[in-house]
Amino acid sequence: MSATVLPAAHQAQDDEDRRFNLPSFLLWLGALALVTVAMLTVRARLDKVHIALGYLLVVLGAGASAGRRIGISLSVIAFVCFNFFFLPPYHSLVVAQPLDWIVLVAFLVTGIVAAQLLARARADAALARQRTAEVDRLSAVGAEALNAGRAEDALTAIAEVMRSTLHVARGEIFVPADTEGMMLVASAGAAQPASEGTESTGPYALRMGGTQLVEWVAASGRSALERMDGGVRVSTDDADTSGLPGLEMRGARALLLPLRVRDQTVGVLRLAGDEPISIDRAQARFLVALSYYAALGVERLRLEHEAEHAQALREADELKNALLASVSHDLRTPLTTIKALAHDLRMEGHARAATIEDEADRLNRFVADLLDLSRLNAGSFTVSPEVNAVEDLFGAALQRVSGMLREHRLRVDVDAGEPLLVGRFDFVHALRVVVNLIENAAKFSPDGATIELSAERRGDEIRIAVADRGPGVPPGEEERIFEPFYRPLGQPDAGGAGLGLSIARRMAEAQGGTVRYDARVGGGSVFELRLPAASISETSAEEAQSASL
Amino acid sequence: MPDISFGMPAAAPTPTMLVIDDEPQIRRVVRHALEADHARVIEAASGREGLDLAAAERPELIVLDLGLPDMPGADVCRDIRGWSAVPIVVLSARHSDTEKAALLDLGADDYVTKPFSTIELQARIRSHLRRAALSAAGSGDARVEADGIVIDLTKRSVTRDGVPVHLTPIEWELLRVLATNAGRTLTHAQLYTRVWDRPHGDAQQNLRVHVASVRRKLERDPVRPTLIITEPGVGYRFELGRQS
Repeated sequence: MSATVLPAAHQAQDDEDRRFNLPSFLLWLGALALVTVAMLTVRARLDKVHIALGYLLVVLGAGASAGRRIGISLSVIAFVCFNFFFLPPYHSLVVAQPLDWIVLVAFLVTGIVAAQLLARARADAALARQRTAEVDRLSAVGAEALNAGRAEDALTAIAEVMRSTLHVARGEIFVPADTEGMMLVASAGAAQPASEGTESTGPYALRMGGTQLVEWVAASGRSALERMDGGVRVSTDDADTSGLPGLEMRGARALLLPLRVRDQTVGVLRLAGDEPISIDRAQARFLVALSYYAALGVERLRLEHEAEHAQALREADELKNALLASVSHDLRTPLTTIKALAHDLRMEGHARAATIEDEADRLNRFVADLLDLSRLNAGSFTVSPEVNAVEDLFGAALQRVSGMLREHRLRVDVDAGEPLLVGRFDFVHALRVVVNLIENAAKFSPDGATIELSAERRGDEIRIAVADRGPGVPPGEEERIFEPFYRPLGQPDAGGAGLGLSIARRMAEAQGGTVRYDARVGGGSVFELRLPAASISETSAEEAQSASL
Repeated sequence: MPDISFGMPAAAPTPTMLVIDDEPQIRRVVRHALEADHARVIEAASGREGLDLAAAERPELIVLDLGLPDMPGADVCRDIRGWSAVPIVVLSARHSDTEKAALLDLGADDYVTKPFSTIELQARIRSHLRRAALSAAGSGDARVEADGIVIDLTKRSVTRDGVPVHLTPIEWELLRVLATNAGRTLTHAQLYTRVWDRPHGDAQQNLRVHVASVRRKLERDPVRPTLIITEPGVGYRFELGRQS
């Protein structure tokens, strides 16, 4: 019989069925007496069938309106009355004709079965009403969750629906805090009265204890109970992920449930009352369904926060880029003026004016470095690899460093008799890498030293080497030199920001290459830029070689 | 067709040059550099004013800053190109290579990146004046001479120090286009259009590879080119010799 699962919303009807409602029993007893008296007055003219039908009407009426118990009780009483008043010998419970037993038993069975059937129909109807109410509740929660402008409001709405449905004082939802621990994002119901409990379990102490348990639930993904006596019970069932504890609910002051989405615990629901909580199976089912809504709400909250965070990052990034672009522009204009004025001074015979020009150039390179590093970091760095000749790259690099390599000699080892070395790379970025490597070599080489630039093809790679006779890199520092702002220990300030090598490596990597360091045999360093090689197509090579003019 | 025969001949002692820049210091610097080369310099502080002055004064050359407050440099460039072939040299600060190339494609002749050196600016401007004068005088010489190289455009021949140099048809076409635009930076797209008659390269037409082989045949040192200069990310420029 399903009457035992009838839910809170129909508690009254449920109770009416289970308990014995005395007034309505007396009412129907009266009706039975009336029918008996009425039938007694015309007893001589009545057949047994008329009497059975008359009583059956009363029994059915009682069963339909007052419930199963009263219906069955009346069946029994009517059975006795039938026997006592209407079956000869009258006014005794003796049955003279054995066949009358059949009538009596048939009447009793009919009455009881009818009462049972009526009760079942009533229970089914009640269950259907309750289901409808549940669906209404759930759809209300869903609508609230979707409607609420902010995810926090949606969670508060869900907490309120759960709290009122389960008749507890407070519903609270916790999510992981940004730093650590859990934080309360939504709460519904009365705030915890300050006077509650004894001195040691004031609201603050209670909340602290509760928070620890909340953290445990979040971490373990299991449910837990806080008991009225201050004890804690936790679910030990790993397999039970339905959200409900296989717990004894008796004496529970608060119930904590993990909120799960796709097997991930995203938050914790805490239902707490000032009185012991009692939750029956139907309510439990409802709770599980609702807690899934709450979990989705928590997930929505998390996604919203993530989106906000990403938006903030993007805006900060845009601001930074705009700032850098404007700084670089604003710096270059005065640098142009400084350079031009220094040039004029030099033309007038001021020897030291050249230094001003050089320093202006250095400042400009420094600004460019910062700009590039910021673009590399922001990922707003576009690479367009094309087939390029290494000689072209070297030519552009030599042109670019010619101004600042007055104190060094640069030897380029390219054999014009050999076939052209071609690679697939981004010319501008590769140029930047080679220039940075040459500058780096010059920075750490004594004046008058030779820097050697060479290139070869090895398999699928073009290897471009920049070799110097400087001090080399101390053992253990070979990778650190590629970190931004690295400066070698114990060496004089070479006048850079320490960005050249890190930019070089990252620019090489951005186009499928790399930059490596190796100690040079006989002292010094070799920096090698490796880039994807390309081959000139047959026809093009043929056409390029033939002298058809 | 743009009218290219206006203004004084380039041989005139004081060509007029227009500087369009909103920064007074930069205008002063450029004025200084140009006046040292005996030019008459007029200044405009905005794009609008620049366009008006260009129409009224018909300068021999325009120096245009890209970062104007009132209108994009590209619009100024396009507007002027609508009615004049006057050389336009663009000054840029933070602009990307693609933006520079787009400006050259729009008709600007050259660009100089801040902070530029006075010598560089002067050299560029001289070579543009010379090229403009050549075009104004008709097709000019059918011969281009630079650093021991003689290119005879009518006979389609090239000699280095008197020795004939053999070029493939594509190499010749590339050299011809570059040499007849000496001093101008031609973008990759412009070179593809003029040499191969199509806007983009393909595997068989690696512009940069052809440039490298032309250099091997013409330059004294292919990794230190003096004739065909690379403008990284933008294009190539034929130099008639910077010693002048």
